[in-house]
Amino acid sequence: MKQSRLELIVGAFVLLGLAAVAYLAVRIGAGSLVGGETYELKARFTNSGGLNPGSNVIVAGVTIGRVHAIELNPKDFSSIVTFSVRKAFQLPADSIASIKTTGLIGDKFLALAPGGDGEFLAPGSLITDTESTVDLESLISRFAFGSTNAKPKPTETK
Amino acid sequence: MNLRPLKFAALTVLISAFPLASAEPAPELSGEVNGVLKGAVDSVLAIAYDSAGAATPLSQRVRPVLEKYFNFETITRKAIGPGWQQFTPEQQACTVTLFTEVVIRNYADRFEAGDRPGISYAAEVVPDPKRPHVRDLPTSIDYAGKKYSVVYRMEKSAENWRIVDVKIEGVSMIANWRSQFNPLFLHGGAPEVIATLKQNLSNSAAK
Repeated sequence: MKQSRLELIVGAFVLLGLAAVAYLAVRIGAGSLVGGETYELKARFTNSGGLNPGSNVIVAGVTIGRVHAIELNPKDFSSIVTFSVRKAFQLPADSIASIKTTGLIGDKFLALAPGGDGEFLAPGSLITDTESTVDLESLISRFAFGSTNAKPKPTETK
Repeated sequence: MNLRPLKFAALTVLISAFPLASAEPAPELSGEVNGVLKGAVDSVLAIAYDSAGAATPLSQRVRPVLEKYFNFETITRKAIGPGWQQFTPEQQACTVTLFTEVVIRNYADRFEAGDRPGISYAAEVVPDPKRPHVRDLPTSIDYAGKKYSVVYRMEKSAENWRIVDVKIEGVSMIANWRSQFNPLFLHGGAPEVIATLKQNLSNSAAK
């Protein structure tokens, strides 16, 4: 009787541990372990290439949130990025969201540059002051190899 | 201060030529804002390519037009960033005046009339349906054999549509300025921002 009770307690403890591990795995996978309560914001980009759910949301180099979802707006084919930010941080309404890269080949993250507006972004607000991913490959190729409609240089006349 | 992207953007506004083609606006949009942008471009071009007025510096000649079509108060506030609320009203007014002068003088004075680029105006976009007074006007500028994507952000205030930001190849000029002004403010507050703008103006006058 005593032994079966002990086994029951051990079994319950193991189950509790497994549940805790599963919970942590889900939370870490969703990137929602930033700490504290959060609120959700959205940002509209013409190109969000490289950004993924779980990417960091950073202000002045400090992580204050995570990207949750990236969807295509079927009306204008823009990219709508949904992300969470810790409630402690109220962002001015004219904040700029940019997609940047850690180093040259690092992960993409969402950088927020707070603005000077006296009003703040309410939960669910859409940030439209954005800088999309810079397509380095196409920029380099355009400047390195020229464009298809390159005109010949006019000869100088004096 | 590195304001090279602004230089290029100012040039695109200053030297933009006639539209190569005009896309039809979205059905719910009147195309009014595109008309304002084209009007701004045409007005500036008319002045910039007017050889009769060459005796007067271009910055002086285009100033009234730029002040009409650019909302420099909003541009300055956005460019300064989070420190703006800590400026006194006098410092804010002074900064707007100085920054407007920096933008117009640094870039208009460096303008050299060359080949007129062509501009394709695409349909205006309402980036946020909840804020219909904000529009993006995508354009494609064909200059010296290369095409550049330039998006003008315009806002309606006091019944007028005015430019508040320009994105060149996806890079926002407001973001560029903010990344430069914010460290200045964090280092020395409003006085350092104002002093830097004054220094910039005196450097440009000395050239």
